[in-house]
Amino acid sequence: MAHDQKNPASARPDIHETKPVPLRHPSWWIGGAALLIFVIMFIRLLVTNENLHWDIVAQYMFSAEILAGLGRTLLLTFVAMIIGLAIGVVLAIMRLSRNPVFQTASWAWIWFFRGVPPLVQLIFWYNLALLIPTVSIGIPFGPELWSASMNSLITPFSAAVLGLALTESAYAAEMIRAGIQAVNVGQTEAAATLGMTRSQTLRRIVLPQALKIVIPPIGNDTISMLKFTSLVSVLALPDLLYSAQMIYSRTYQTIPLLIVATIWYLVLSTILTLIEHYIEHRLNDGKPLELSLVLSSLFRSKFWAPRRTEVSA
Amino acid sequence: MNAPMPLLNVERLSKSFGTHRVLNSIDMSVKLGDVTCIVGPSGSGKSTLLRCLNYLEVPDSGVVFLDGDPVGMRWHGNTLRQMSFNELAAQRQRMGMVFQSFNLFPHKTALENVIEAPIIVQRRRKAEAVEEAMALLDKVGLRDRAHYYPKQLSGGQQQRVAIARSLAMRPAVMLFDEPTSALDPELVGEVLAVMRQLAEDGMTMVVVTHEMSFARDVADHLIFMDGGVIVEAGPPKEVLSNPQHTRTKSFLARVL
Repeated sequence: MAHDQKNPASARPDIHETKPVPLRHPSWWIGGAALLIFVIMFIRLLVTNENLHWDIVAQYMFSAEILAGLGRTLLLTFVAMIIGLAIGVVLAIMRLSRNPVFQTASWAWIWFFRGVPPLVQLIFWYNLALLIPTVSIGIPFGPELWSASMNSLITPFSAAVLGLALTESAYAAEMIRAGIQAVNVGQTEAAATLGMTRSQTLRRIVLPQALKIVIPPIGNDTISMLKFTSLVSVLALPDLLYSAQMIYSRTYQTIPLLIVATIWYLVLSTILTLIEHYIEHRLNDGKPLELSLVLSSLFRSKFWAPRRTEVSA
Repeated sequence: MNAPMPLLNVERLSKSFGTHRVLNSIDMSVKLGDVTCIVGPSGSGKSTLLRCLNYLEVPDSGVVFLDGDPVGMRWHGNTLRQMSFNELAAQRQRMGMVFQSFNLFPHKTALENVIEAPIIVQRRRKAEAVEEAMALLDKVGLRDRAHYYPKQLSGGQQQRVAIARSLAMRPAVMLFDEPTSALDPELVGEVLAVMRQLAEDGMTMVVVTHEMSFARDVADHLIFMDGGVIVEAGPPKEVLSNPQHTRTKSFLARVL
């Protein structure tokens, strides 16, 4: 071959001892340099701009009011996620049922709660008493067994949970439906030949596998939910953001307190990302994971991941 | 009728996918304790026939009788009505099935795969189910792999676990849908050995297969299918060494 004549084997170094020179991309250096300039400018802004008042940021970072707000934000995130996911599982099953009534009801629910912005929902739920002043449980058109005024039921917290959980339920339903459909048909066939009923198959075989598939999007949704909870400040519910707002409305230290809130949101979403990565790794190979691996996975882009494994394989 | 009633009886079974007639009025019967092998070129309808036996595939017309009871249907006076899924599930417990692609439950260990249905469906006590499952895993040579997950097992091991899982339901008949077709050649033997043992123990089996030597040595009855019909059937040695039909001859010339 022509290539071999130009580069005869005798003139080449032993191929077992040489390593190919890694490809250099000039664009990396140019891009890196441009980025570095922006980073330096940004750090300079953080350090030199006195309006940031880092002393005030430090003063309020761990103040009782902020920490209480932080607790409410976390509580709201998890309560809304758990209720949303629970409803989502039911909706997904209804959507895949052969019963047209269930299918339609689930479709309508998802259509509505995915279509109405969560902020509108929050305000709407909070003002529900204007629409329905009292709620009662009883026999329709018959005697009343229990009743309460809507104003006593709808607190800022319950309105917030309703708005956030119902929105989440619509998204969770679509996710879980996709997860259920991704489970191999062979699994339900195998369960059927073993004499399992539909509900046994769903509970024991399909859902465990579907939930494993939807763990990454659920993690993603949890992080979104953490941020969506900041909407509840319109209901005067003292979450992380509203606590910061209450403080700066007294002290006029708007920027430092927004920075306090920003830092806490970043800390929480980073922790949630770490937990998500940890669970994902556990599910993938079932082995406990070293912290260093989780940390490094944070910075690894999923886009490159398949190529890396190809190289290492 | 002095002869004992066959365990499985198929009467005029037909099935189409769209305009394609996959099964064309099939009649066959399987006697208790017999091993029936179904062979034929791909697309001949043999897998569809097997899947109609336990109603995984719903036939367009015709009936399968298991021990005299119509499968997937119920007598209502003189007419047959389709069963509910849960009634069908009860009936399917009597027919074990082994798939080409194993279909083990990936989130459960080998042992958990085997005890799942006995505990959930038959409501057996866990200790008893585990004891029987371990005996079955021993029988397929995988007692030491009981706590492995399917992905930690080779294809041949997975298929043997799948056989144990079906046997745990104490079925009256075992259906095998090309059980060795997805296996590396060196793993085929271990699965066939388990099936041979099963046949020797007197299990009634219907096996769709491409393994001609297995069919010749183990089967009591060989069915050759082509184009949705049974072209030839009989004792395997006769069908294989002295085929009557030209389609059988040309198929055997290609595979033997």
